[in-house]
Amino acid sequence: MSDPSPPSVSLFVTCLADLIRPSVAFASIRLLEQAGCIVDVPVQQTCCGQPGYNSGDYESTVPIAKKTIALFEHAQFVVAPSGSCAGMLTEHYPKLLEGEWQERAIALAEKTYELTSFLADVVKLDKAPAILTQMPTVTYHDSCAGLRELGIKEQPRKLLRELCEVDIKEMQQADVCCGFGGTFCAKMPDISGKMVDDKLRDAVATGAGMITGGDLGCLLNIAGRARREGIDIEVRHVAELLSGDLYSPAIGEGE
Amino acid sequence: MELQSQHFREKAADALADSAAVAQRDKIAQFTPIIRDAAMQEFGSFEALRKHIKRIRQHSLDNLDYYLARFELEATNNGNQVHYADTPDEMNSIVLDICQQHGAHRVAKGKSMVTEETALNDYLQRGGLEVVETDLGEYIIQQAGETPSHIVAPALHKSKQEIRELFLEKHALGERALETTEDLVDEARSVLRETFLKADVGIIGSNALIAENGYSMLVTNEGNGDLCANLPSVLIICTTLDRILPRGEDATAMQRLLARSTTGQAQTSYTSFYSGPRREGELDGPLETHIVLLDNQRTDILASDYKEMLQCIRCGTCLNHCPVFAATGGHSYGWVYSGPMGSILTPLLTSLETSEALPNACTSCGRCGEVCPADIPLPDLLRDLRHEQYQQKMTAPRWRVGLKLHAWLAVRPSLYQFLTAMLTTVLHRLGRKKGSFSQLPFAAGWTSVRDFPAPQSGTFMQQYKARTKADE
Amino acid sequence: MSSESRSRIMAKVRGASRGQGAAAIESELAGMGVAPTAPLPHEDTCIAFMANVLRNHGTLDIAGNRSEAVKLIGQYIYQHFRSHRLVAGNDPHLAAMPWRDGGVLPRFGEVEPGEPVALSYAQWGVAETGATVFLTGKSNPSRNNLLPERHLVLLDVNNLLPDLESLWRQIEPTIEAGSRPRGIQCIAGPSSTADIEAQLVHGAHGPRGWHIILTGGATHEQLQTARAIVACDDTLGGS
Repeated sequence: MSDPSPPSVSLFVTCLADLIRPSVAFASIRLLEQAGCIVDVPVQQTCCGQPGYNSGDYESTVPIAKKTIALFEHAQFVVAPSGSCAGMLTEHYPKLLEGEWQERAIALAEKTYELTSFLADVVKLDKAPAILTQMPTVTYHDSCAGLRELGIKEQPRKLLRELCEVDIKEMQQADVCCGFGGTFCAKMPDISGKMVDDKLRDAVATGAGMITGGDLGCLLNIAGRARREGIDIEVRHVAELLSGDLYSPAIGEGE
Repeated sequence: MELQSQHFREKAADALADSAAVAQRDKIAQFTPIIRDAAMQEFGSFEALRKHIKRIRQHSLDNLDYYLARFELEATNNGNQVHYADTPDEMNSIVLDICQQHGAHRVAKGKSMVTEETALNDYLQRGGLEVVETDLGEYIIQQAGETPSHIVAPALHKSKQEIRELFLEKHALGERALETTEDLVDEARSVLRETFLKADVGIIGSNALIAENGYSMLVTNEGNGDLCANLPSVLIICTTLDRILPRGEDATAMQRLLARSTTGQAQTSYTSFYSGPRREGELDGPLETHIVLLDNQRTDILASDYKEMLQCIRCGTCLNHCPVFAATGGHSYGWVYSGPMGSILTPLLTSLETSEALPNACTSCGRCGEVCPADIPLPDLLRDLRHEQYQQKMTAPRWRVGLKLHAWLAVRPSLYQFLTAMLTTVLHRLGRKKGSFSQLPFAAGWTSVRDFPAPQSGTFMQQYKARTKADE
Repeated sequence: MSSESRSRIMAKVRGASRGQGAAAIESELAGMGVAPTAPLPHEDTCIAFMANVLRNHGTLDIAGNRSEAVKLIGQYIYQHFRSHRLVAGNDPHLAAMPWRDGGVLPRFGEVEPGEPVALSYAQWGVAETGATVFLTGKSNPSRNNLLPERHLVLLDVNNLLPDLESLWRQIEPTIEAGSRPRGIQCIAGPSSTADIEAQLVHGAHGPRGWHIILTGGATHEQLQTARAIVACDDTLGGS
């Protein structure tokens, strides 16, 4: 980059990475630092508010959105290892809020990115933090919000291929929802179960040993169903792969 | 049509239990998007055209008073009788009256979702008329006593074998093979040919009403709607106010996306524009034509935050791309309209409470909004309906409590982080060996079909704070 | 009561409308520009039309002159029905054909049930969609387009239009003059259905075959090019 001062990034950890898979957030930090960013993590952050928002509780989401904006609006860049959380900040906060807060939401949206698109499009990461010699063949699940709200499709594939020399086997209907849908998966489990079965069927059919993707919600759903059905396929977040962290057990696997 | 949407969950479970039907739906859900995508790729300007159509549709709706008055004037001058119906019953009674004035016995019908909405067939049959659906799909489900499972392809849920058995039973023409799809189509053709020739009244719907010239556009591949519109001596067009477009070119611009979205065609076999009754010296065509405009809540929608839903062109593309629709099939939705557009229209046209499940039968995946040729923000409208349900306390109490608690904690970082750290520590200890839970209290919905992956050791915040402290 | 409903509906529509004047509305509409049209499969309108007709499962013949057209029509009827009879509308373009040259025995008027083949004169063809356009009226009974087993269409390539917008430009003068045809029928293929297991079958209710005889200077070379375009679609797995 021609700009001499390194980009400064505030990491939006996302609640699922925070609670269930911290390795995704640590991997994100490693990747951002590898790309030459100064990374900070505002420790007052919690959740972006999607569960309530998507369930129709707009009123309770407003204070969450305002708190998140106030916490992150001073950053140069905000990066989240999730398309749906980044989409919540960029697409939905401006719709949810009005007046001055809407303007602040728009300002935040303009500097907020999903991790792989930030790495590929903004800071143009060209070298992985660690090269693994034993990269499994993977198949990539396009999470809906990242794909349709933020247009993320090529970026993670490009990073996996160019930085880690990963062999990606594309599955049929990679762009179709896995059935997670936030609270949907718990509200309509039968339908969600059918959708995740289709996803696993298509993934297994590629012969890949691993499913990866950019959103923990989808990955928890896919891994949970694979465990339940005894389907032998690893599930990991793309940040873990890119940062070379295959040491911790895959999602849903025992130590 | 009787509203059954309160049974969505049960119907969906039944639909998922029928493995042959599941396989058929899977097949259709895979190829319909491929056909649409190929047509759009060849067309090349999908985004530009849908933005254009959206602008025209919004302009028409914003100025509907002007265009409705203009349409009425032109259509009347063309020789039509224009009727207005507030309610489904009123439309039904207007249509029955017209039939009775002509001493009609037989009615040939083209596919019309509006008349499904009003249950016109039952009404006319109770009035002593013989009503035959002539669209092959509609004919099949009428014979079977069923309702449409898809607004464009109403009988796609039935297998060839089921249709064969249905025809053998209903037509009672003795033993015959009916082995191939062609045989089945031929048989329906010969039966329906008589219907067209003998019908006293033809009833069709409309894809667009053109304000500047009073023409009504009809788009089909079978040509059945055209036979209904040209052969019987009386034609009744049953439609709604929101079909009105300013000009002929707006209607054809719309069909450009309609046909490509639905069947991948540049134009369907028949795209016709009808202005009114038979002209002097003309050898055929109806002697009398009526246009019945149904409101049924649409003027309320026009004045509401859901106005954009009136841009819908009834192409069925959102159904074809909805993974929930693919899983459950159209009948699960319990009314005329299904899939994303149905999950919005059904609550708006009937009852939000009775159809409570429909706006929730959505993962917010956004695929419907991406392909909608009218550029309707379907995922946003579905979320807005969930918002309304939440405000009106239709959301289940345990969800309300859970979401409120979550939101309350989310703005209290210290408490949130303390509690989540405690919870994940417990879950990590219990689950680290196996890696996931097959059962968890308070997560029955999740664990009913999938395991819950165990958290890693300690939340990120715990670990991060510990590390930064160590660094200092 | 319908008239009460009319008032109620009109009032609600007025309440929800913007209340702009006619001039403002018309100028807003005019400012919206024109819709993008489909790209033509070939820069030559005639080849583009032919290719789209073939994509629509139509068939085509090229006639160098009217006598040849009649012969081609005669051959088509004989080939499919072992007959020389056909029904044609009273269109002057059809009445003036040298029928004896092809041994065809036309009856002018409307198709009766059981008559298998009709010939119509298409006023225009639309290259964008491969559609033939008919204005119903005295000389063009609509049922002739809808009832027969096979629908023959005579079309002069000089009446080909690039797109649907151009079609409206052609029709509008007639409409504005107040002599509105009852029906404008754009026919772009045989009657077809995919209602049974999504399998495409022709002849759902009307014509199983839709055959266009092009007059006015179309060439066999153009048709060859059109066929090549469609063959290329097929190998690419397109429509």
